[in-house]
Amino acid sequence: MRKAIGLALGLALLGTAADAEGKLALYNWGDYINPLILKKFSDETGIEVSLDTYSSNEEMLAKIQAGATGYDIIFPSVHMHDIMMKLGLLEKTDINQSPGFENIDPATFRSQEDPKSEYCLPYAFGTVGIFYNEDITGPITGWADFFNIPEKTGAKITLLDDMREVMAIGLFMTGHSINSTDPEEIQEATDYILSKKPAVSAFTYESPTLLLSNDIAAAHFFVGGHVYYVDKPNIKYVIPKEGATLYQEDMCMLKTAPDKAEAKRFMEFYLRPEIAALNVDQQFNGSANVPARELVADYIRNDPTITLPPETLKRVQTFVDLGKALKLYDRAWNTIRTAQ
Amino acid sequence: MALRRDSVVLGVLLAPVTIFLGVFFLVPLLIIAVFSFLTPGLYGGVEWSFYHWNYGRIFGWADGIEEIYEPVYLQILFRSLAFGVLTVALCLVLCYPVAFWVARLPERARLFFLFLVALPFFSSLIVRLYAWLLILKPSGVLNETLIALHIIREPIELLYTPAAVVLGMVYVMVPFMFLPLYAAIDNLDRSLVEASMDLGANRRQTFLKVILPQTIPGIIGGSVIVFIPSVGNFVVPDVLGGAKGLMVGNLVEQQFLSARNWPFGSALSMLIMSVVLAVLLLATARARKAGGQA
Repeated sequence: MRKAIGLALGLALLGTAADAEGKLALYNWGDYINPLILKKFSDETGIEVSLDTYSSNEEMLAKIQAGATGYDIIFPSVHMHDIMMKLGLLEKTDINQSPGFENIDPATFRSQEDPKSEYCLPYAFGTVGIFYNEDITGPITGWADFFNIPEKTGAKITLLDDMREVMAIGLFMTGHSINSTDPEEIQEATDYILSKKPAVSAFTYESPTLLLSNDIAAAHFFVGGHVYYVDKPNIKYVIPKEGATLYQEDMCMLKTAPDKAEAKRFMEFYLRPEIAALNVDQQFNGSANVPARELVADYIRNDPTITLPPETLKRVQTFVDLGKALKLYDRAWNTIRTAQ
Repeated sequence: MALRRDSVVLGVLLAPVTIFLGVFFLVPLLIIAVFSFLTPGLYGGVEWSFYHWNYGRIFGWADGIEEIYEPVYLQILFRSLAFGVLTVALCLVLCYPVAFWVARLPERARLFFLFLVALPFFSSLIVRLYAWLLILKPSGVLNETLIALHIIREPIELLYTPAAVVLGMVYVMVPFMFLPLYAAIDNLDRSLVEASMDLGANRRQTFLKVILPQTIPGIIGGSVIVFIPSVGNFVVPDVLGGAKGLMVGNLVEQQFLSARNWPFGSALSMLIMSVVLAVLLLATARARKAGGQA
């Protein structure tokens, strides 16, 4: 769905990203950068910024592989950062030599192919967990509670329409790594999800509307979903005790970038704590920029599900590229989605 | 001399459409056909070596190590075909009587009605489907109204059911069925209907022997235009079906994106195209036969 919109939008705007002096073309996830940042950058530098959006790593990769040019900066997840490094699609920026880079938390250098951040700048991270309406469900601590909601209360729940996120739940619940490539472990995870499928109303990204109207009682969603529920104290977010995934995106320059100087300037602009903090305030994400974490609104700084304490960081897992083993997940996902 | 000039003019007139179809239809089709026999690249794309397992996975000659045969793909295809047939049948039943009614309206009312049929095209499909989501959800317009009217006590389960998918498909496809049907019915020779009644045929005989044969081209045209996009549709099952029942369109989309397996996606596309082509050939054969009779 979103993919379709993003694709259409991307295609429509593709032609407009022209190579000229004083321009910068960003290609980012939808709603994943505070527009104020772009405005401040343009006001200060006179560089005109354009923004196209995508809704999955694969969609972005497919377009870049198909030869889309004109984009300067992209925001791949860590495992896609690695893939794009292997494919030689990224430009070495030496951003780690820039003044202000000391602000960046070395714990966010999660890329295996770019461990010193010579290419990309860690951008934002957060967990994928459960939003729930406490009035209906009572306290929820993890996935077992979550899947019990329909039986216990008669209310509905939804999962994300995302192959790896859903498989990760099965892998957590059967005690395996979310990056397992063992067919038996993946089978166990599949069986777990299949056993819970009758309890799941839908696989969808559109849960916020339904949660707000009480049509569902809980949803598997990104921590960024907080943005929909700021004035809804009964809707709470939990990082499930059995395990949760941690996503992170990095800001990378494409090898084909037409505006390399402007792109580098934008990456350096984003090293400033007050700029990075603007994003956190709007996105409810964790920031790689350590001083920025002190500049955000109190309720964000004090919320342990957004500003993650070290013990939480220890129990979350991040996706890595699976190479050929991705096929196992694809087959499992087809089985899960076809089962009646 | 005149003949030569005619063929030059004809060539000039036909050249744009030929080039257009060649570049934007045949070339992509060829790419898909070729890709479906190549090795999948690890990160999307293809490797240029011959690979027949893409079809083996679907039809049952996979090696069992790298590629595994699973009947699930054919099941998904048949399921999608069944949804397509159901959509066609429902659209037909809905549109046929209405087209008769509209054809008898005074001209102004008729034009207004045709404008209404075309109206949905002015907004995006995705926006319209989200509107349906708001209508069908438990706290949505439909359930609230029925409860307020004391017709039901508890909200009915509509959203994220196969029924919602069928409803959404029919909603999307109705205009495509209506317009060709209307064209056929509007052109109906009414003097033949009168003649049939005068000569003693009853209503049922008149309908089956006079009206129906004359409108067959419209029925076939509408059915084909509805069937083809219904089989490949993946937006409706995602939005209104909650992505719980995989359709062949979803499967293709998934192969090109999350599974990064372009050749398998291409093989599945070729499969859909062959089925649709078979249906088309069958339909044109029937239409020709029906045309010959009339």
